[in-house]
Amino acid sequence: MLTKELAIVSFENGQIHPDRLVRNKHKIYVELASKMCDVYRQGIGKMRKNLHYDIHRILEEDPQCPARRIGAFCKLLDEWSDFDMGKPKQTAELRQRVFRQAASFHPLVQQAESILEHSEQSVKDRIALSENCTWLDLQEKLFSDIIEHQRLAKFHMPEEPTDLLARYNVAQTQAVLMDATDVTVDALSDWKAILRYAKLAQLMHRIEPLEHGYRITLDGPASVLRHTHRYGIQMAKFFPGLLACKSWKLTARISPKHVALANQAPWAKKRTWQLNLDDSCGLQSRAAPPQYTDSQLEADLIENWRVMLLIESAPEHSQWRLIREGDLLVRGQRVFFPDFTVITPNQERILLEIVGFWTPEYLRHKQEVLQAFSHAPLLLAIPQSLKKQWERHSFSPNHKVLFFSQQLSPGEIIAAIEEIGP
Amino acid sequence: MTPMPLIRLTFDAGTLLLESGSVAQGVAGDSQSTSLNSQILARWFGQGIWVWDPRVSKWRTDAYHYADLHQAITLLNLPIKDTIRAAKFSDEKEQVADRIHESSANSLPSLRPEQIQAIQQWEKTGRGIIVMPTGTGKTEVALAILARRIASHNTKISGTPDALGDPNSSSYRSLIVAPVRDLMYQWHRRILRGLKIDAGILGDTHRQIRPVTVTTYASACIHATELGNAFDLLIFDECHHLTGPIRADAARCSVAPSRLGLTATLPEQTDALVQWIGPVQYELKMEQVRGSTLADYEVVRIPIELNPQERARYKNLSQQISKYVYERRKTDPEFAWKDLCAEASKGSEASRIMRLRREKDAIEDRAEEKLRILEDLFRLHLGESMVIFTGSNAMARAVSLRFLIPCLLSHCGKHERLDYIEGLRDGIYPAIVANQVLDEGVDLPEVKVAIVLGGKGSIRQAKQRLGRILRKRGNRRAILYEVVATETKEVNRSRKRRNNDAYEGTRHRQFRKRTDPS
Repeated sequence: MLTKELAIVSFENGQIHPDRLVRNKHKIYVELASKMCDVYRQGIGKMRKNLHYDIHRILEEDPQCPARRIGAFCKLLDEWSDFDMGKPKQTAELRQRVFRQAASFHPLVQQAESILEHSEQSVKDRIALSENCTWLDLQEKLFSDIIEHQRLAKFHMPEEPTDLLARYNVAQTQAVLMDATDVTVDALSDWKAILRYAKLAQLMHRIEPLEHGYRITLDGPASVLRHTHRYGIQMAKFFPGLLACKSWKLTARISPKHVALANQAPWAKKRTWQLNLDDSCGLQSRAAPPQYTDSQLEADLIENWRVMLLIESAPEHSQWRLIREGDLLVRGQRVFFPDFTVITPNQERILLEIVGFWTPEYLRHKQEVLQAFSHAPLLLAIPQSLKKQWERHSFSPNHKVLFFSQQLSPGEIIAAIEEIGP
Repeated sequence: MTPMPLIRLTFDAGTLLLESGSVAQGVAGDSQSTSLNSQILARWFGQGIWVWDPRVSKWRTDAYHYADLHQAITLLNLPIKDTIRAAKFSDEKEQVADRIHESSANSLPSLRPEQIQAIQQWEKTGRGIIVMPTGTGKTEVALAILARRIASHNTKISGTPDALGDPNSSSYRSLIVAPVRDLMYQWHRRILRGLKIDAGILGDTHRQIRPVTVTTYASACIHATELGNAFDLLIFDECHHLTGPIRADAARCSVAPSRLGLTATLPEQTDALVQWIGPVQYELKMEQVRGSTLADYEVVRIPIELNPQERARYKNLSQQISKYVYERRKTDPEFAWKDLCAEASKGSEASRIMRLRREKDAIEDRAEEKLRILEDLFRLHLGESMVIFTGSNAMARAVSLRFLIPCLLSHCGKHERLDYIEGLRDGIYPAIVANQVLDEGVDLPEVKVAIVLGGKGSIRQAKQRLGRILRKRGNRRAILYEVVATETKEVNRSRKRRNNDAYEGTRHRQFRKRTDPS
């Protein structure tokens, strides 16, 4: 990720816009990206400061390119690289040897005089000799472990040089999110993945149902007490995951303290700005897209349901719909995603949870979840073979159970729901 | 009155949570039991402390309120069960029992009257700031406070952990926060030497949390939310660093009832520091100790000239920049430096001007004549330990390469730094050069000569750098040389720096120009 000092933004009508390279306006960058990647690809063994210098030279081809954009590209290219850390221990020891040796000749004067007979060059040559090299070589080695002097060992080449531009655009948006006080995501689907990424980023959520989908507001523990940037980094970390999801709209409130300073716009600190993005914003990340089924049992049910509707084997069921993780249940910071929502011809939504395995850990987890959501009406589908084990455990009267033999068929589910009645 | 179930008070990521629940008549002042609401909370703890958090269905507040809350809970005998203490130290029992026994015989130096006064003032409330010039023994004050707490804990070792809320209690679990890694290690050494405690280290890839732990502001801030309930006493060394909304979290997210701030340079705005640490409890002025506790000193300013090439380039750069600014002011009379920075971020001509400006800075920072003057000063103080401060890492390395003296930069590892600092003390190295690493707190008691080759215009930096050479040792007088390129902006920065009581009476000396032996 970029540091906030490298963020480039513009402010307009209450909105904050992160710097964004786009095909038509910044056409030249397609070529520049490829040149920049070449510098690193061909730069194995070069010092970091020289690589950065070359990047500077390349980006000077765009006279409009601001300094912070250059810094940002250097940072991102470095992130895709492994640098040889040098030999910090040996280098430190070399320095100590050299400085200790030189101490007895202090001060190294430019021209030797009667009392101060140690001229700079003669002492340096003498020390170099004791290290079996020339002074020029020694000088080179003496600070070879500092970051600017580290040498490139490996460059993890992106598939396409334009990936660098895609990464840049996401990184600039993340840099703005670091100054966010909260993030609101309106999601029409994929909320399980969105909440999972939020949880990975250690954010807290508030969830409100929308007409279609949910509104998920993300911030941290202290956010109820004050507007704080404290969780900005976590929001920035969350963002690439969101980009892997579908049908969302993000609104972030930004108090651009650091970003404003970096952009020499102190006046912008006085108010809150909005960052608005949605799934058509064109930003791409390499985060894993949501998984759509957890088990074969679920995949089979989806397939059987599709077939049922397709071949009209049971025309009386043509109005019934099955949606994978179509609803969620919230209790404080816990969220439960029943496997399916079945929509009846009367538009009733029945939540269906499949209890598939019977390992002790799985059982404990499932029971704990069902216990926490014992207030919610659910249809549980449990294999016949597990009937005995299941009945030994207490369960909520709100949870109806359907025992099934080999495969869970759409017909059985519909029959069970019709049996429960409205 | 039937006993009501206790309402639990817990610690959560730098905040405190109070469960919702019902409270009985006696405490709420009502005849029936009623559910905990904002009126009741305001009556118990004051307005606006607790905020309802619907995300978890509990009341929430910042951890730093804990001392006050605890006091109210105890005084009013509130039906609240305090469970904020987490077992953070797995090895605490053995660790502490052993150490504490040993440390009763600590080897701290005896204190001077002003140090004793500082401790007495601070201990009245166990919260607040002690302002003392560098070199007057701030660290000793903190160590003495720590030793007293440990000793008192030792006598009450069977005491209940409930004493936590009382600032004068025996609770001694302490987090010491230092500005940089070097100082963190220095604290570790001082604690080991003085109190015989091997303190935990949090930062610089270490992560040992112990009842006494040293850390940096950066690490304290990153880990603030997890460590907030682990310590009873926070010691902020160079506490003027505790600024900004995020850094303050190191104090805000902690329940520690006792807080000690140490600084030589109290900022003008102290509101935030007073909120997080407490009021100034004791202040020792420079003039009270100059020559007695601190070494007497003089500041000598040496103007140097740029060489002909440097001067020509410098002039040329200045002209280009002035021309640009002049052109811009024709259309925008208000045009100022910061506008140039803003424009530079959008690319174009302004960005070129910025580059020129950086080159100009580099010329004055690394003027060749500075290295020549340095050679002269080395000759003049032959046999004396010296420390050289520069304005940039590049200049520090340039000095190091020219004279082959150790250069203390942030990349140096723990052992290398220690070797240089101890080597300077023991006379193995004649001098060391540093950019900012040495500005604060690192003890250099033997050094009486400092040379400032460049740096900021800030009074704080100037005072701190001067402080490095003022630790008294015998009656030797300390000298601080300030080498300033004339005809450049450095002159202004030097003037700014001198605008403080420590720099009063600076001597302006035209340093003898060495005639070429040829």
